[in-house]
Order: sequence, then structure tokens, then C-alpha cells
Amino acid sequence: MMDDDPRAEPERDDRILETMAARLALLLAWPLPPALLQPPLDLVMAILKRRHPGAFERLTELPEAEIVVDPVDMPMAFRLRLGGGEMRLSVCRRDDIGEPAALVRGNFAVLLDLMEGRTDGDALFFSRELTVIGDTSPVVALRNAVDGEDIDMLADIAAMLGPFGRLVRPARGAASRARSSLVGLHDLLLGPALRRVEGVERRLTRLEGH
Amino acid sequence: MGAFELICPAGTLASLKAAVDAGADSVYCGFRDETNARNFPGLNFSRAEMRQGVEYAHARGKKVFLAANTYAAAGRFAPWKAAVDDAAAIGLDAVILADIGVLDYAAGRHDGLGLHLSVQASASNPDAIRFYQEAFGIRRVVLPRVLTTADIARLNQEVSIETEVFVFGGMCPMAEGRCALSSYVTGLSPNSQGVCSPAEHVRYEERGTQMVSRLGGYTINVFEKDEPAGYPTLCKGRFVARGKTSYLFEEPTSLNAIGMLPELKAAGVVALKIEGRQRGRAYIQQVVSAHRAAIDAFGAGRAIASDRLGAVTEGGRETTGAYTKAWR
Ligand code: SF4
Repeated sequence: MMDDDPRAEPERDDRILETMAARLALLLAWPLPPALLQPPLDLVMAILKRRHPGAFERLTELPEAEIVVDPVDMPMAFRLRLGGGEMRLSVCRRDDIGEPAALVRGNFAVLLDLMEGRTDGDALFFSRELTVIGDTSPVVALRNAVDGEDIDMLADIAAMLGPFGRLVRPARGAASRARSSLVGLHDLLLGPALRRVEGVERRLTRLEGH
Repeated sequence: MGAFELICPAGTLASLKAAVDAGADSVYCGFRDETNARNFPGLNFSRAEMRQGVEYAHARGKKVFLAANTYAAAGRFAPWKAAVDDAAAIGLDAVILADIGVLDYAAGRHDGLGLHLSVQASASNPDAIRFYQEAFGIRRVVLPRVLTTADIARLNQEVSIETEVFVFGGMCPMAEGRCALSSYVTGLSPNSQGVCSPAEHVRYEERGTQMVSRLGGYTINVFEKDEPAGYPTLCKGRFVARGKTSYLFEEPTSLNAIGMLPELKAAGVVALKIEGRQRGRAYIQQVVSAHRAAIDAFGAGRAIASDRLGAVTEGGRETTGAYTKAWR
């Protein structure tokens, strides 16, 4: 749908809500020990495997590689191990990224849109909203595999939850009404935390500069 | 179909569906191997996906073409034979070919299968086109992106088959199907292995705030912070010549001839092609629907909106390419 299409408005509201909800959930979960964070990430992989076996198979068939996905507006990064017959997603600190085969960096909303095929990776790369560092081969394969599927994380999670999942749809429908209050809630809850993260990053950048 | 047949790219089944839903008349795609010129990791169709894609398009009255447009390897013809045979068995509407061996095989084996001459054949004059028509019975030629609209009009008066031209997307500034730049640096050729600047030979590095793109171990471009980037191909690399660093062949830019529909119609063009089988389905959706709207507006005598696609162009820039090249 084109940006100037008035029908895009409710869909945009839904999207902003979903992105904020995902971001909120991750930020609230972030202080938890990694052992507690791993089960939900394993669940995400299980959902992908069950709902998108084609994409999953294509990714596990690749040569083994590690890609770090780094949402610049979040305090954490994600480590994705592909190939060699399996796929594993874990979360890591930005200062513990190590030397992955490739690093993909962008805003959280951009990365989420990319995963769901809502935006074009090449266009983001041309405009520098998306940065790729290192070996492009696993990144291109990952992008093509996820783009080739109709991935809709919220719908996928809803389907996995069975009867509880039915709650997700009405929640989506109410998105435009909920949006303005959520923006306020989001800023209220996360504003101070994000400012702290940004402050630390600014200090680190200054230190690196010396 | 409207004033032109709109031919759209698809690298995945999801993109094919997006193209059909957004208003494509025909979709072109390739099998997941070296037989097509977009042999990228994770892209393209398995036989089963192609069958599903053809079913989806045909159920909606749309066509699907197979691009098997690389040059076959001497002594290893099996993948190209299989591509043509499977296209016929699956019921694709035409195959887009460049190699005379593959054309000969397809013409001899599959009577009803439409043959289109790929842009990779670089047939840019009436003699060349007539040769392919007489020898293999091709019914359409995709013209190389080196002709002006006046050249196309002259050519159409001399040939009796349909002509298709590119209207939007990435550009190959060299003679198509003949470029050896990528082969020279990576050992792999766009014309035989189906990939220019293969991903496994491309690396990006950060140098302070700059982004360095490297191909086969050579630095081919350095982008300043927030400077729009392009594909990591040698033709769009920046090189030092006479002490000056510049784009020697072509700047990162995309063809956009959406505003030239009247000229292309007057030149006798039948079909318009969008480049980009390697692009995501969001690009397909956006670009195809903009072209559908433009063709419909042109057919109905309304103004054509041509300013909606800047965000998806390479390097954030657009060109009308050779269609209006003043220096020629
Ligand atoms: S180097 Fe440029 S002109 Fe040559 S095949 Fe690649 S994209 Fe085309």
C-alpha cells in the first residue's frame, strides 16, 4: 500500500502498536538472566519452524554462519546461528558481540519490518538505514528466506497459542484507538531507561574517541 | 491487459503472489540454479514452488515466464535442458533465453512453448533479431538498455516480432550478456553462473564513519556517513584516475522511464519490464502497483504520476538511461 493511501492509516497504527509492544516486551525482559530469556527465544524459533518450514529448511541447509542483528535503539543484540542443520537465536550484550560472520544494524522497527517482508532490504541499504558489516552471503540468504514467506509474528504467535490466540485479533483491531495512549505509556515507562542507555552510549563513544 | 503488457519480477513465491495481486500481467522468475541471471543465495524457485506460482497466476488470468537466460556451460548442458523441459511440463507461458544452444533445444523439443529472447542476448539491431526469429521462431525480443526511443521506433519498423523494454530498476551499463567485470575479479560470471558480484565475494567494512565495500578482496567503493549507497558491482565502483576519485562507468542509479509511456507507445513497444528479482516483496508490491496505475492512467488518457518510487532506487537516484541519452 502506498504511503499516501488513506487506507494505510489503520494498518500503520496496528504496526506502530505491534512494534512498540515487541520493543516494550524485550526491554522489560532485558534485565532477566540469559537463562530465563532463552526459552521465549527458543519458542520463536519453534514457531518459525512449525509455521514456515520452507524458510526454516532453507536456512538450516546453508553453510554454518553466525549473524548478529543489532537494533541500535535497544540495549541488546541478537545472535542468530544458521546452517549445519539447525538454527538458534540468542540475545547478547552489545559489548559482547564478538566476531560474527556478519552484522546487520538498524532501528528495531526497521529490522522487524524487514523480517516480516514489509520493507525492501536493498532500499534500506541504499539509503543507509540498514548497515551490513562482514560477509554478505548469509545475510542475503537470510533476507531472501524470510522475505519469501508471509511471516507475521503476531499472527504466528496467535496461531501457536490456540484459543488464547483469538485474543490477539481484537487487540489488533483496537490498535488505532490504543495507539495514542500507548505512545504516552511507552514514553513514560521507557523514556528514562532509554535516556540512560543513550547516555552510556554517548560516554562510550567519547571514550573511544580518545 | 492495458496499453502495455506489464512484466514483473519475482524471486520468491511470495513475491510472485505480490506481483499478481499488485497488477502484473505477467511475472518472470527462475529456478534455483545457475540457469538464470539472478542466481543469489536463498532466492528463486524450486520446481514445486514454480508449479504453485503458475497455478496462482493462471487462476487469475496472468502469465508466468521462466528466465533461463544464462549461457550454458560447454559439456554440461543438463541444467538448461532440465529448466526448459520442466518449464514446458509445469505449463509456463514462455521461456526467456539467450544461449543459441538452449534456444535450439527449446525450439526443437517444445512446439507450443513461447520463446522470448533475453536482454542477455544483446540483440540490438534488425539483423540480429531476424536471425533469432528465423532460426528459432522467437516471438518477442527484450531490447538491451542501450537504445534511444528513436532507435526503438526505427527498429520496430524493421522487425515483425514484439518488443519488450525495461521501464524501471537496476541498470547494467555494459553490453548485456557480455560484461566480464565480475568474472575478472571473482572468477564467477553473471553470464554463465548467473550472478554479478556474488554475495560470497562481497564484504562490507566500517572504517570510522565510512563504509567500505570490497569485492573479491579489492576495495571498490568508500561511502561517507549517510551517503546513499549502491550495489557492490564494479561498474558502480569508484576509482582513482588521473589523481581524481570518481565513478568511471556509472553512478549508483535506477532506471525510471515511467514518465515515458507515450514515447514508448509511439515507438511500438508492446511490453514493459520491471527489473528486480533480487528485491524484496515490499519493492515488488510498491513498484508494480505504481506501474499498473501509470499504465491504466495512460490508457485512459489521464496524467501519469511518476514521483512515487524515489525511495526504492539505487543510490537514491533515477535516470531515463539511454532512452534520452543526449550525447548519442
Ligand atoms: S558489473 Fe555492472 S554492467 Fe557488468 S554485469 Fe555487473 S551490473 Fe552489469
